[in-house]
Amino acid sequence: MDKHSPQYFKHLALQLRFELSDAEAQDIANEFGVLIDQLQLLEAIDTEQVEPMVYPFDEPTSFLREDEPNQVLTPQEALKNAPAQLNGFFVTKKVVV
Amino acid sequence: MTLHTLKAMFDPATRVDHAIQAAHAFQPALNAMVSFIDPQDQLEALTHIDPSAPFYGIPVALKDLVNMKDTRTTGSSKILDNYISPYDATITRKLREAGAIIIGKASCDTFGMGGTNKTAATGPVHNPYDLSRMSGGSSGGSAALVAAGVVPMAIGTDTGDSIRKPAAFTGIVGLKPTYGRISRYGVIPYASSLDHVGCFTRNVTDAAATLKVLAGRDDKDMTSSTLPVEDYPALLKGDLKGKRIGILTNVIDSISNPTVRTQFEALVEQLSAQGALVTRVTLNDALMKALLPTYYIIANAEATANHANLDSLRFGVQVPGADNEETMRLSRTAGFGPLLRKRFVIGSYALFVENQERLFRKAQRVRRLVVEDLKAALSQLDVIIAPASGGVAPLLEGGPKTDELSGEYLIAENYMVMGNFSGYPSITIPMGFENGLPLGINLTAKAFDDANLLDIAYGIETLTGLKNLVAKVNA
Amino acid sequence: MTYETIIGIEIHCELKTRSKMFSGAPVTYGAAPNTAVNEIDLGHPGVLPSLNKTAVEKALQACMALNLTIDPLVRFDRKNYFYADLPKGFQITQQFYPIGKDGWLDIETDQGSRRIRINRLHMEEDTAKQYHLEDASWIDFNRAGVPLVEIVSEADLRSAQEAMAYVDKLRNILVYLDVTDGKMEEGSLRCDINISLRPEGTSTFGTKTEIKNINSISNIEKAVASEIARQTALLEAGEAVEQATRRYDDVAKTTVMMRKKEGSVDYKYFPEPNIPPIRLPQAWIESIRSKLPELPDARHARYKGLGLSDYDAGQLIQNKAISDFFDQLLPLVKSVKLAANWCLGDILANLSQDQLTHRTYALCLSELAAMINALADQTISSKQAKEIFGHLVEGKGYAETVKALNIVQVSDTSVLAALVEEVLNENPQSIVDYHAGKDRALGFLVGQLMKKSKGQANPALSSELLKAQLATRKPQ
Ligand SMILES: [Mg+2]
Ligand SMILES: [Zn+2]
Repeated sequence: MDKHSPQYFKHLALQLRFELSDAEAQDIANEFGVLIDQLQLLEAIDTEQVEPMVYPFDEPTSFLREDEPNQVLTPQEALKNAPAQLNGFFVTKKVVV
Repeated sequence: MTLHTLKAMFDPATRVDHAIQAAHAFQPALNAMVSFIDPQDQLEALTHIDPSAPFYGIPVALKDLVNMKDTRTTGSSKILDNYISPYDATITRKLREAGAIIIGKASCDTFGMGGTNKTAATGPVHNPYDLSRMSGGSSGGSAALVAAGVVPMAIGTDTGDSIRKPAAFTGIVGLKPTYGRISRYGVIPYASSLDHVGCFTRNVTDAAATLKVLAGRDDKDMTSSTLPVEDYPALLKGDLKGKRIGILTNVIDSISNPTVRTQFEALVEQLSAQGALVTRVTLNDALMKALLPTYYIIANAEATANHANLDSLRFGVQVPGADNEETMRLSRTAGFGPLLRKRFVIGSYALFVENQERLFRKAQRVRRLVVEDLKAALSQLDVIIAPASGGVAPLLEGGPKTDELSGEYLIAENYMVMGNFSGYPSITIPMGFENGLPLGINLTAKAFDDANLLDIAYGIETLTGLKNLVAKVNA
Repeated sequence: MTYETIIGIEIHCELKTRSKMFSGAPVTYGAAPNTAVNEIDLGHPGVLPSLNKTAVEKALQACMALNLTIDPLVRFDRKNYFYADLPKGFQITQQFYPIGKDGWLDIETDQGSRRIRINRLHMEEDTAKQYHLEDASWIDFNRAGVPLVEIVSEADLRSAQEAMAYVDKLRNILVYLDVTDGKMEEGSLRCDINISLRPEGTSTFGTKTEIKNINSISNIEKAVASEIARQTALLEAGEAVEQATRRYDDVAKTTVMMRKKEGSVDYKYFPEPNIPPIRLPQAWIESIRSKLPELPDARHARYKGLGLSDYDAGQLIQNKAISDFFDQLLPLVKSVKLAANWCLGDILANLSQDQLTHRTYALCLSELAAMINALADQTISSKQAKEIFGHLVEGKGYAETVKALNIVQVSDTSVLAALVEEVLNENPQSIVDYHAGKDRALGFLVGQLMKKSKGQANPALSSELLKAQLATRKPQ
């Protein structure tokens, strides 16, 4: 599959559990051109010896939560939004194992 | 109307009733509200709250990303159209404890992912000053409700500039405090390392009062700060004398709109006249031009994972398939708009092992350089300031096409993400008008220097007199 | 051709905490479905993780016991994949910086002690439990978010016996630490075993298969042995081993295919943005180390120092609950050996594992000790002891039982002397045998004497008296 072709992005979308229409896939492929151009702005920056910044602040924290059970939903609350439920369980299509 | 005067004028039920009526009356014109909340239970609960509580009986709105137990929270998405929160966000609890009456959930770009509010499942939000224009995004509904005078305060979230840009477009105050100052627990995320909770108000004093209520350590959010909360409203003095203010030249130089430049320079003159120590600071231009792609990669990569929970198996709108994989696929296809799916694809692409170093990690390294550059500039300053946008709110339809590689777009329209990269507190307040449409100015300060930021914003607000503006909505 | 077996083992172990890894919902076993969950465990929109201190403490204890180097800066990452049992669409784990790395575990093999290297130990969260029914699958999220450690060995194991010994020893250590209850059958300890074969003397690895869902220690040996046999047969026949995940079928006594492994999945790991790095205070780590409980190897050595055989010591430490019981008994008894025998015999036979673990038995330790001491003094016979024990396990006292059973120790020398006289008179051949050096003769005579006394004679004293009398009756 051609890298950055509409087919490639359709395939990628399926891994993320959604579909792209032909037009959407084409749109992403097109937009990728702009992104690649913008990425050149990124690539032009020397990041040798620079650590990735994952969090806004670098100072480590020390907090750990005490091991006390303190919050539980009632089964009604837990299942309130469930699309399907039975006997207190969430119900899904049969998983073949 | 300030929190203070509003409290003085009516009893809670009347205040809340006025707000709800106004919200309904403006809904056809603004389309700012996604869900209304019956206030009765909350009004009754006021009997347990001290009438001197800061939000006692004050109607407020939440961005539709904020959970409130037993209310609908859709994130302005289709996939959560039927979602009823089983729990309160920490800020929801704090607002209730402060006596606030939450009247509804305001529209936003789906999951905060956009800058136009055009991606909301309920359609675009219209600018109260000109209905053909956007109110900005992603917190467009919250901004419009405050600007139109419906509520004195609405909660927003800011991942790129989603509070500060809409505030500029609607002539109000938009505060994004320091990262970790307000708990994010219970707020639907966009990108966790960039997301901030903040507020819209019509004056700086109310913003300070709101921050005092919302701020503080929350053990449910491990990124929330343990630093003590300050008495922000009490610390507002408004004296600009000796305040070190840096003008961000990269932004002003990239703006072509003469009105914006003129008004901004006039304001700078006034600041100097007040005794502020105004200097010009220039950040690394290559870094400034790289802000947008850096932001785009980090935000979408985090977002892709953050929204992987939306598989329709436990909550949300389900489109049943033959098996779970198909159910997830059909539900997510139907439940996410095209823009969202595009962003998830790009975010995921940046995380693949073969791309991660070149894209995601690279962006995180550039983020550090940007923050170091900003930090160095701020080390000699109290705040840096610049126009919050290169112009007034764009038209919802038929505006000029933006050149996404131009300096004006890359810098002037996107520089405020620096506040998200760094976590530094940042506020937008009104600067003036162009053809009756608001323009905003943005201030950014050092980490946890929120009180100083608010104080300088208060000084500028006093100088411009631009506060408590209410748009006249052509409903 | 002969083949060398290469085995590496990944163990997932549920930690014994009260609340979950990242949420304040309780950890339960056997509760009604979805009654031990909150919004975090269900992956609701807007939730954030909050790390459990005890889970970290237990992970640290495991690291210490397994000689791993501890990283005091705790960091987490996201492992992204979609599955119905994974509520957030990602698992929070420690991909890049495990809390422990580069440790080892010594196991006993036929060739002596072998050191198995441990690559890493990291913390993560468990998934929900699915029940696959005829026409649907049901999900219970009570297990979702339960704290786990994953312990990954190097591919240092070479046989089914070693694989079993490794898991058994590891499990026992974790149980001693009280880090886990270690119940394989309930899934609180789960192992994935990677197996490949290669011609003896070569160094490149063959294609490996992974065996999952083994529900007991003994099945590890069976599963691995059968998989080695299966792969050997394939290679002998010139066929290729297919890279796949397999499971052990207890009935068919062989591994069966679960799914093929096509390439490697890209989990798009990246640092968890909602958990900032946490610096564990060195003092806290050291205080945990200083309070580390006695581990099986140390206890084994201590028992041997008390005079127990290697075998008895080994049997005792194998089961922490009985070993703990034995340790409680130790200060009260005169005979270590007798105490060990009773623990490994009648105690294990009469008390359930659950009773032992939770100390819910009625048996009173000091009463048991009184009985063992009487036995040691030979004031009661082992036959009497068995009878008395039956009452002690019901919570009765030693003295009252002896009284109730009318067990009277005949220690009166004059009474015994008469019985000795009788017995010797009735068994002249035994006297001859005794003096001919036949050891069994004395035992027989003691037995006869006990019978005459209806079991009430003091066996030690009787034996002494018999010997004395026998000496006087030496045949000419
Ligand atoms: Mg693994
Ligand atoms: Zn694992």
